[in-house]
Amino acid sequence: DCVRANELCAAEPSCSSRYRTLRQCLAGRDRNTMLANKECQAALEVLQESPLYDCRCKRGMKKELQCLQIYWSIHLGLTEGEEFYEASPYEPVTSRLSDIFRLASIFSGMDPATNSKSNHCLDAAKACNLNDNCKRLRSGYISTCSKEVSATEHCSRRKCHKALRQFFDRVPSEYTYRLLFCSCKDQACAERRRQTIVPSCSYEDKEKPNCLDLRNTCRTDHLCRSRLADFHTNCQASFQSLTSCPGDNYQACLGSYAGLIGFDMTPNYVDASTTSITISPWCSCKGSGNMEEECEKFLRDFTENPCL
Amino acid sequence: AAFGLYFPRKEYLENVYIDQPAGTPLLRIHALRDSHGEVAHFHLCQNLIVSRARSHENNWFQIREKTGLLYLSKSLDREDFNVLSVGNWMPLSKVMLYVFLSSHPFQEKECDSASRTTVFLSLINATAPACSSLTARQLCFTEMDLSFHIKENKPAGTFHQLQLPSVHHLCQNLSISYKLLAAEGMPFRYNENTTGVSVTQRLDREERERYELIAKCTVREGFREMQVEVPFLVNVLDEDDSPPFLPNGTDTADAVVEFSRKEGTVLATLTVYDADTTPIYPLESSRKKYTGTIITDDPWITETFRVEHIFDEIHFSPNGSQVRGTQHEYKLVLNKSISVTEHRYFQLDVLVNDTEFNGPERSVMLHFNVSILPVSIQFPNMTYQFAVNRNAERFAQIGRICIENCMKFRGVNITYKLLSPSVSCYPVSILQGREDKWGSLYVNDSSVLRRPECKEIQYTIQATDKQSRKHSKTLLTIVLEGTLLKKEEDCPDSCAVSKHHAECEECGGLGVLTGSCQWRQGSGKGITTNYSTCTPSIKTCPDGTCDVIESRDPAVCPQDCTSGNIIGGHGKGIGNLGIKSGHGICYCFPRQNCYCEKDDIKEQLCDDVCKTVI
Repeated sequence: DCVRANELCAAEPSCSSRYRTLRQCLAGRDRNTMLANKECQAALEVLQESPLYDCRCKRGMKKELQCLQIYWSIHLGLTEGEEFYEASPYEPVTSRLSDIFRLASIFSGMDPATNSKSNHCLDAAKACNLNDNCKRLRSGYISTCSKEVSATEHCSRRKCHKALRQFFDRVPSEYTYRLLFCSCKDQACAERRRQTIVPSCSYEDKEKPNCLDLRNTCRTDHLCRSRLADFHTNCQASFQSLTSCPGDNYQACLGSYAGLIGFDMTPNYVDASTTSITISPWCSCKGSGNMEEECEKFLRDFTENPCL
Repeated sequence: AAFGLYFPRKEYLENVYIDQPAGTPLLRIHALRDSHGEVAHFHLCQNLIVSRARSHENNWFQIREKTGLLYLSKSLDREDFNVLSVGNWMPLSKVMLYVFLSSHPFQEKECDSASRTTVFLSLINATAPACSSLTARQLCFTEMDLSFHIKENKPAGTFHQLQLPSVHHLCQNLSISYKLLAAEGMPFRYNENTTGVSVTQRLDREERERYELIAKCTVREGFREMQVEVPFLVNVLDEDDSPPFLPNGTDTADAVVEFSRKEGTVLATLTVYDADTTPIYPLESSRKKYTGTIITDDPWITETFRVEHIFDEIHFSPNGSQVRGTQHEYKLVLNKSISVTEHRYFQLDVLVNDTEFNGPERSVMLHFNVSILPVSIQFPNMTYQFAVNRNAERFAQIGRICIENCMKFRGVNITYKLLSPSVSCYPVSILQGREDKWGSLYVNDSSVLRRPECKEIQYTIQATDKQSRKHSKTLLTIVLEGTLLKKEEDCPDSCAVSKHHAECEECGGLGVLTGSCQWRQGSGKGITTNYSTCTPSIKTCPDGTCDVIESRDPAVCPQDCTSGNIIGGHGKGIGNLGIKSGHGICYCFPRQNCYCEKDDIKEQLCDDVCKTVI
């Protein structure tokens, strides 16, 4: 990972000095002129051979933020910043056997043979309540997100997001995914599913910002930027696979989706419909001007994504 | 802009296979002109961007400066392929190239120009496939959508070639022909000889901003014929070519300042329309493009008022199709609180300027007829009279004092004061919350109520406006009534402690009006705002707000004011104070816990479903 790569680089005088130089180059306001500089280019060439160049981070690792900071300190300047899709700084998720079993538990709900009266979202909540860790962190975020602060501010969005991130980072996905992706046959169940992340606090806002504006806000934050890049890497619809997911890795896409919860780009179900499931971040493409096409494209990756 | 040439799409995509011979054409890039006579020159950046931000010197790809044809200048062998795949972890390797555009031949070959487009080349780890193994879709179109953008008000020109140069080169024995469907009456033409698609006239976004056509491709191989259809979309890009205009010609609005005098009060709003779009992203630059300025020499006006500009997307429908436009709202807002004595009439003009529009009517003048009326600080034409029961306890709320229109005031700070009477009977005081527009009268010393010599007490109340020091006075009469009852022994000092109807009404407590607490019988089931509880006065407690008198002592109304634990089913009030809703009966021990529970023993115990609150 990048923390380790950074340590390796620091131990080597030529690497560490080039790294410092490059960081200075990229920190400059005018990226293009800085990169045209001979010294910066030399630093870049040397670093291309160093372990820092291909380093990645792990989701929920210790020092995740530090790792991402190192990652973006190199990549921010190089990937143009304005790219539509950015490469994920996270290590690719390989579906292990255990993951496949977990998936099976999610989709057993799709089986029409199971009792039509069963509510999978309620079952998921019960299962979470029976696990101490899940129950503690779930009631933690629910009480934080529904705590009224004052007459004008009905909850603290910042604290709510933090509690949600803790829940999705620290509780095993067999519990969290079951809650988030439970299958529903009636509206009450779908409403419970929609309510999972306490959308009145974590999702909805007074105004719907423009999606490109929201993306920009997200990209100023290393964590949010990384999670969004991860979502794009793992959930971008692909024509070359059966499930429309990159590498048919459905699990990785679900993980990236859950990874966005608790950030500015928090996605959620837009309604309690059981037939057509639509997911979107809290934004719209109104007021996009000449960027409307780009905005629609960005939004479609959530609302009309065959992989998701 | 000086360099008016531009690309009609942002990205191009093509496949490259191993060992394709040098000279293989890959794809054709087009440019559209800003003005007649411009000639496009294409140029390639010398660096290839390999995925994950590595770059590599470009040894393989070149572009024809005049025609925009991208071709292989050197065959890509397996070793080259490995070099370019390093660091790529996706199954498909992609390299990225930037193509630049200029209206004159490139002097210095730099990767730096305002107009550029991106070419993605997918490196396929195999030799070029046989034509017979390709599907019609693969022979006719790339994976990328056929979606283009054309700027409005620009000259006609060719912007796409349907034929894929790589396929044409590879599969010369196949007959591949194209057609553009649904193009009748649309400003686009397909040239069969070149397979080029051109726009035939200047487009106007305010007329129509999206064209949806269909590209149809027919592949013939001997007797076999295959057909594919894909959408062909053209978006028209906007430029600022429309002046602002007023809906229904309204350019005047009345702005009256009377009871609302607080900084930030919106006095009036005028709307300006513009057929152009205004992006809300980035917000600040759009604000600067469309300005609203108060035209005045009077420093008092600039200090006192400001104009706030917000805008929103709206839709116009010229000739049936919907196009986006902008609604700008200019709000006249008080920049500071205005004194109650201020009295003025004047017209305030705001100049709205569409700074990027290059015509004569780029601005409109808005007029606000401003009337600032003085308001008087005076009590209604009467004196106040309140009856107080002799058995009332400390913190019993007697009534409210309010000057005329006091509830309508915003930004006027009125303070109420009791001027002490000369007599020794002095049982009541007045209190006012921070934002309260009224004064609350309450019992401050209950022992005075019990004194027989105190019967009718006269006070003078004074209301003062903080800013102007204007004030008004009126008389207040307190009549003590009722006979003194004997106090129950062993009663707690707070009504809220009582759990049952009977014990509640037997006792008094802080804040009671007549000597005994009142019982509120809840009717709702489950957790409800209408829970059963014992209170000094149903009118004020619990009402969901911890008012200024209740907050003086936690024993008065913990149901509204507690910040401690609440045990049992409940919902907390605003700011975590008080019990907003409860299950069954709620009772409290002041400075300690509150409890909400069902008293009814007959009801069955809470089962598993009931326990799962969330």
